[in-house]
Amino acid sequence: MSDHLVAQRRPGESTTASYAVEAEGLVKQYKSRSGTVDAVRGVDLRVATGEVFGFLGPNGAGKSTTVRMLTTLLSITAGTARVAGVDVAADPDRARRSMGVALQEAGLDVRQTGRELLVLQARLFGFAAKAAADRAAELLTLVGLDDAADRRIKGYSGGMKRRLDLASALVHEPEVLFLDEPTTGLDPASRLTVWDEVRRINRNGTTVFLTTQYLEEADQLCDRLAIIDGGLIVREGTPQRLKDELRDRLGLDAGPTLDEVFLDATGRTRTKAAGDVQEVSA
Amino acid sequence: MSTLVGTGALGQRALREAWRTPEALFPTLFIPLFFLVVNVGQAGKIFPSDSTDFLQGQGYAAFQLPATLLLAASFGGSAMFLVEDIEGGYFDKLRAAPVSRTSIVLGRLYAEAVKGAGIAALVVLLSLPFDVRVATGVGGFLLLIVLTAIWSVAFSAFLQLVALRTRSAAATQSGSMLFFPLLFLTPNFVPRDLLTRPMEIAATLNPVTYVMEGMRALVLDDGWAKVGIGFAVAAVICAAMVALNVRTIRNYD
Ligand SMILES: Nc1ncnc2c1ncn2[C@@H]1O[C@H](COP(=O)(O)OP(=O)(O)OP(=O)(O)O)[C@@H](O)[C@H]1O
Ligand SMILES: [Mg+2]
Repeated sequence: MSDHLVAQRRPGESTTASYAVEAEGLVKQYKSRSGTVDAVRGVDLRVATGEVFGFLGPNGAGKSTTVRMLTTLLSITAGTARVAGVDVAADPDRARRSMGVALQEAGLDVRQTGRELLVLQARLFGFAAKAAADRAAELLTLVGLDDAADRRIKGYSGGMKRRLDLASALVHEPEVLFLDEPTTGLDPASRLTVWDEVRRINRNGTTVFLTTQYLEEADQLCDRLAIIDGGLIVREGTPQRLKDELRDRLGLDAGPTLDEVFLDATGRTRTKAAGDVQEVSA
Repeated sequence: MSTLVGTGALGQRALREAWRTPEALFPTLFIPLFFLVVNVGQAGKIFPSDSTDFLQGQGYAAFQLPATLLLAASFGGSAMFLVEDIEGGYFDKLRAAPVSRTSIVLGRLYAEAVKGAGIAALVVLLSLPFDVRVATGVGGFLLLIVLTAIWSVAFSAFLQLVALRTRSAAATQSGSMLFFPLLFLTPNFVPRDLLTRPMEIAATLNPVTYVMEGMRALVLDDGWAKVGIGFAVAAVICAAMVALNVRTIRNYD
């Protein structure tokens, strides 16, 4: 694992935008024959350049829907979103150039080898054939897949697939990296590997926007986080601020864990007033 | 990046995929040849070449060859792979790349054209032992290959459209059943003027009839006007299908 492979970029250097991700009043309504689903109901987000931002929420809260709108994969019903300063709806191709995307289902073509997949990905981001081959080789080393590089992806383990997916999101050295549940289904050791990788990517200046179901992961990795529930942001702040806020509000002696913050925010154990939106600024 | 480079890169990947799944490729070659042998075996004696005007002096197998080629070009395997891409999430990965939406559609279709041409050439070569000759010569042979390739792109594009709209393997599989009416409501056993009246009407309304007649004109040297009409019909259907694909992928959610 060597750091020089990802271009050194200081936060804010390569973008004129003050925020890496900026969403205002983001709404997604899924329409189908069986009716409409209000998956996201007006989300405002600001992720500073250089941050690791965690996006938490229970199943069906709207995390993936939000990520898919931010990454140009899903049309936006209402509101606006900018990634690296580019309006994702107005200029999707330019936005795509500045973002890396690894979605919840590690989307890989199992009939290709790891190397072929990365070469193709690099070609799609405009690399010439030789440059694409070099970039693929670098990334394979970076994520420790040298030995498996020329084997079909079909035979990869879940952890290997995740790492390859991560590598494919990095081919073009994106300014912002979106990871939708990057460690779901991984064993503890593989999870730690992904954490290290995320930290390293972030050290090199890439802003990371990740969703997760693991509070421990959010606590360890994220500078700031937001909790979404029922399509609305119900908490936002640094992990410490959120814990402090809960401790003060409930008058606890010991500091609560992030789990308790999460449960409180999503009303899973304690009573939650509808639309009780608490903003805790970082 | 240019649409051409993207299409080339994605086309190569689709060809690699086809090459690595010979089990999907095999029926495309085997089933049409099977029908060629069976149909000629059953009807060959009814139409002896010396007393059957419409054969232009060739055997019945030559008359059957266009139907064989069209059948080989109407499997459209690419659409099933596309459904796999959609279900597995790789399709989203492609959509998240700054590559023109047109190349995402054209990549697979380019591979279909190459595959269609290769299979057509192979089918023609394998029919040579049955005394089939392309009467219009080498040029006619090449046109026959190109026309088959255009049709295979048109049919694959139709199935890709079903795949993109339904995102379902079952629906895409059902869509491929369209080849039954398309290929059999045609003058595939005898020329159009020998069909019963209802069948003749159906065949006249079926665009594949004109593609088949164009191919047949190449094999039997039966007039270049028919060849021109065949190409025009195939090209128009192909262009319309590609345009619908591009529109669908642009609005894909
Ligand atoms: N294509 C779709 N059509 C209709 N409804 C959808 C669609 N995709 C998601 N939904 C609904 O939108 C809501 C939000 O789903 P989403 O996938 O964004 O949640 P999530 O927070 O990512 O959940 P998970 O933790 O399970 O991944 C859910 O109620 C879900 O059922
Ligand atoms: Mg999700």
